[in-house]
Amino acid sequence: MTGNRIEFLLVEDNPDDLEMTLRSLRRARLANHIQVARDGAEAVEFIFGLGAHAGRSVASGPRVILLDLKLPKIDGLEVLRRVKSDPRTQAIPVVVLTSSKEQPDVQECYRLGVNSYIVKPVNFESFASAVAELGMYWLLLNHSPQT
Amino acid sequence: MATDQQIIESLQELHDLKAALDAHAIVGITDLQGRITYVNDQFCAISKYSRAELIGQDHRLVNSGFHAREFIRELWTTIASGRVWKGEIRNRAKDGSYYWVDTTIVPLLDRDGKPRQYVAIRVDITARKQAEQSLERLAAIVNSSDDAIIGKTLAGIITDWNPGAEALFGYPAAEAIGQPMTLIFPPERQAEETDILARIARGENVRHYETVRVRKDGRRVEVSVSISPIQDRAGKIVGASKIARDITERKHLAARTQWLASFPEQNPTPIVEFEAATGALRYQNAAASQLFPDLPRQMIEHPYLAGILQATAGLRAGDGEPVTREVSVAGRHYAQTISFIRESGCLRVYATDITDRKRAEDEILALNAELEARVAQRTAELEAANHELEAFSYSVSHDLRAPLRAVNGFAGIVLEEFSQQLPDEGRHYLERIRLGGLRMGELIDDLLTFARLSRLPLHRQPVDNTRLVQEVLTELNLPGSGRPIEARVGELRSCLGDPVLLKQVWINLLSNGVKYTRGRSPAVIEVGCAAPNGESIYFVRDNGVGFDMQYAGKLFGVFQRLHRAEEFEGTGVGLAIVQRVIHRHGGRVWAAAEPGQGATFYFTVEGGK
Repeated sequence: MTGNRIEFLLVEDNPDDLEMTLRSLRRARLANHIQVARDGAEAVEFIFGLGAHAGRSVASGPRVILLDLKLPKIDGLEVLRRVKSDPRTQAIPVVVLTSSKEQPDVQECYRLGVNSYIVKPVNFESFASAVAELGMYWLLLNHSPQT
Repeated sequence: MATDQQIIESLQELHDLKAALDAHAIVGITDLQGRITYVNDQFCAISKYSRAELIGQDHRLVNSGFHAREFIRELWTTIASGRVWKGEIRNRAKDGSYYWVDTTIVPLLDRDGKPRQYVAIRVDITARKQAEQSLERLAAIVNSSDDAIIGKTLAGIITDWNPGAEALFGYPAAEAIGQPMTLIFPPERQAEETDILARIARGENVRHYETVRVRKDGRRVEVSVSISPIQDRAGKIVGASKIARDITERKHLAARTQWLASFPEQNPTPIVEFEAATGALRYQNAAASQLFPDLPRQMIEHPYLAGILQATAGLRAGDGEPVTREVSVAGRHYAQTISFIRESGCLRVYATDITDRKRAEDEILALNAELEARVAQRTAELEAANHELEAFSYSVSHDLRAPLRAVNGFAGIVLEEFSQQLPDEGRHYLERIRLGGLRMGELIDDLLTFARLSRLPLHRQPVDNTRLVQEVLTELNLPGSGRPIEARVGELRSCLGDPVLLKQVWINLLSNGVKYTRGRSPAVIEVGCAAPNGESIYFVRDNGVGFDMQYAGKLFGVFQRLHRAEEFEGTGVGLAIVQRVIHRHGGRVWAAAEPGQGATFYFTVEGGK
């Protein structure tokens, strides 16, 4: 892991979920290089070096995207579609973290090439451990082409 | 001894007698061999032979050949033995004509009593004979007639009664003659006779008068009667002749013909028959007359005929089935059946009015189209509603769970990180907050499951229920429950249904069985199937706590619970899901239970099968 390298892009509009996810990642010691985007547009700008992030190289990460589906401006499915349809970013693992258990969402995510689909549990302990395990898995165990 | 004077007087007398005889009769004398030796003038006149042609000739010259050999032999035997013969003989004159003579042949005898010659004295009876024969012929005609021929007096007394009358009225002539004519009149027609007699007395005829008479056996007979006056030679009316003919059969046939004719006549279907060659109308019933008031006048030019002739060209040329076709006349529709009557060269047309049927068909078509449009509209509305419901579920799923996660998560964080700083009571309440949040999460999850099951499309396929139940029991992991639970699974008939949804039904019913038998040792869960009327009824029976049947109505409602949460956990959605799935399959679900005695849940999958 390099010093300034962004490891995680966490796309989450709900401040409660954001805080709990960040806490879980911190506790799992995975929180060193986290970029937070509060809506889909911000996420897209960051990933593709646009807008506020103009000039940022697409090649510089992130290594994992944690993506909520229901987002202001550009929704999670659209973000997923853009990442997976761009050859520069399609190798980045995307983990969808969502409250939705609805079948159409799940199916659409897999069709667009999502790497994992996690339903946020109501139970806090489960939520914390799910986030921690996921982060660990994709960051440490999964060897993406960019490492 | 006679004097000369006496002799002269006798001869004169003899001469006078001969003259009288010659004036009255035909006289001929033959010898023993039958040769004519004497004829008088009358003989010559009637036989048309001259005396010269007759004298010396055999008497057989005038034989007509009419009489039988025996008759002639008897004549000769009689006179040869010296006796007188009397009889009527037909002879033939010279010109071939016949004449009848009443004949007396007297043999003149010699001293030994032997015939010497024969004297034949004849009287011409030709006219009488002819009258007799004429009468005999008339009598034969009367006797052989099938018609009743009756004579009666002006007072109405029967005088003549032929065999035809005997047959028609049943009375023998002996019984009828001398009786009044009213013998054969029915009581209500007795007056007719007075009228008839009056007309006869005036010299009028009654011709072909149709009436009713009564037979001896009481049966009535329809007759046509003709009555004519009978006059004597002086022209005085002395009686009447009556000819009666049995017209019962004719009347019956006429009535039957009329009756049969009333069928086509009263048939509401227009029926027309016309000659194919000339277009001449042979028949049209009332319905046809009403439909085409001018048809008889216009037949040949009528476009109706042209159409029929065109349609039946093949039928008339060959021999085919009757032609059927549909035509429209004056705004109404008809189904025509046209047949060709080869013997008469006529076309017969039956035209059934199918206007109402056509209209009904059109209406049905219009209704169907409207119905389809409505179904399409309703489907669209339903799809829209479904879509909204999906969006709603999505919102519930996403938006309700997020704040719940916050309540739960931050309560958890407080308990985890600040537990020491909290008093016991504070910790307890925080724990309660967390449990409440968890429970709400379960409720939301179950509600979403319920909504999703209602929405999922039903994929019917053969379902092996025995295997499905075994799968569910394995997943429920009964040995892992740490208490003795005995599951008895009987033979379960397969059915047509959605295996995913039916598995949910078995899961919910079996897990209920497990849950509500807590505390029973051993807990027994029985699964079976019965088909009392051919319809498969599945059941799950347990020996658990059961419930009071007065609450049975609440069993299948969403969030309805019959037990407190402290006794048995749960959200009250499981049975609502069961009912929803079963109803979507077209089946029924119901329960029977008693508190403390366990419960049985029954369901069917396919209605009536």
